[in-house]
Amino acid sequence: MMWLGLVSTLIAYAACKALYRRFHVVFLNPMITSLVALVLFLHFAHVSYATYDASARWLTSLLGPATVAFAVPLHRHFPVLKAHWPEFLVSLTFGSATGITGSVLLARLLRLNHAVVTSIAPRSVTTPIAMDISQAIGGIPTLTAVFVILTGITGVVVGPWLLRLLRLKSPVARGALFGMGSHGIGTARAFEYGAMEGTCSSLAMIVAAFITLGLAPALVSALG
Amino acid sequence: MRSFVPSFLQPSRLRDVGIALVQIAGLYAVTALCNAVVRWLHLPVPGSILGVALVFALLQSGIVKLRWVEQGADLLIRELLLFFIPSSVGVMAYAPLMRQDGWKVVAVVAVGTVLVMVVTGGVAEAVWRARNRTPRVEQNPSREANAS
Repeated sequence: MMWLGLVSTLIAYAACKALYRRFHVVFLNPMITSLVALVLFLHFAHVSYATYDASARWLTSLLGPATVAFAVPLHRHFPVLKAHWPEFLVSLTFGSATGITGSVLLARLLRLNHAVVTSIAPRSVTTPIAMDISQAIGGIPTLTAVFVILTGITGVVVGPWLLRLLRLKSPVARGALFGMGSHGIGTARAFEYGAMEGTCSSLAMIVAAFITLGLAPALVSALG
Repeated sequence: MRSFVPSFLQPSRLRDVGIALVQIAGLYAVTALCNAVVRWLHLPVPGSILGVALVFALLQSGIVKLRWVEQGADLLIRELLLFFIPSSVGVMAYAPLMRQDGWKVVAVVAVGTVLVMVVTGGVAEAVWRARNRTPRVEQNPSREANAS
């Protein structure tokens, strides 16, 4: 029973990844299918989330090292960041500000309660960082984690469509769109367009985390 | 059958995986250290961000060689989605909230994400075009076609 969460997650992930490789359909993104498969499994097997998470949280604890691991692409592709720093800096500053203000204003417009509003604000950056920002601005970190995932999934679904709609030509803009809009989940998708898109997405994701970290506390308190 | 085994568990790559696992343990230690430092000094940044900055600085200065960390780092990044799954299943714990306000939450996230993506992609493309508007490109009538 102790290993159930870890084992079921590994199996679901491997199977869903194989399924996605076989049929390249956006709704079969492994993030979506694994989530649906596991929620259904836990529901019908009458397993609580606490029981599942007892061992599955070992995987979550790898999110920190996985974030630190982004120092490697940052180092490897630093010349790309140096060559395109104006694109990254300007677009990600606007992107982060839009993410925070947009979430807060929309959430308030729909009269969601205060805890949800603060938990939803940092949702555009990668989970461990979003959870830390959430904590800092008075949100609920675990709820933020759910919003981050939801954002990532939304991003991989709407991203390819927006890319065509906006007629983005530069790999920098395509990568920035995915990295800023749906962090790690979007980065996995961006690599499907090409190495440069994926690289730019990874870079955008890291830089966006730094920028959101700087902007969030000030913006959230300014928005009252 | 083979395709149902995660790529990192295939026997042919076990030696590489061994190296990667040691490197992941190293990255784990760095993260834990950074988290401890952040807590201890009450720094206003998350430990993982401090970790990115630290490892990046060590790589850039050449103190840490790329080959000491790259296999582990690449494996973590390649299987990044896996580490998100348990927290995403956590949506179950918020079932009452989702039943009551689920559509609102989805609407905020969906509309918000579209806004973020349009702004980020649009601004990046605009800056990119502005920086690439060299005389040579301006003279070219089929600039759109060339740009792609």
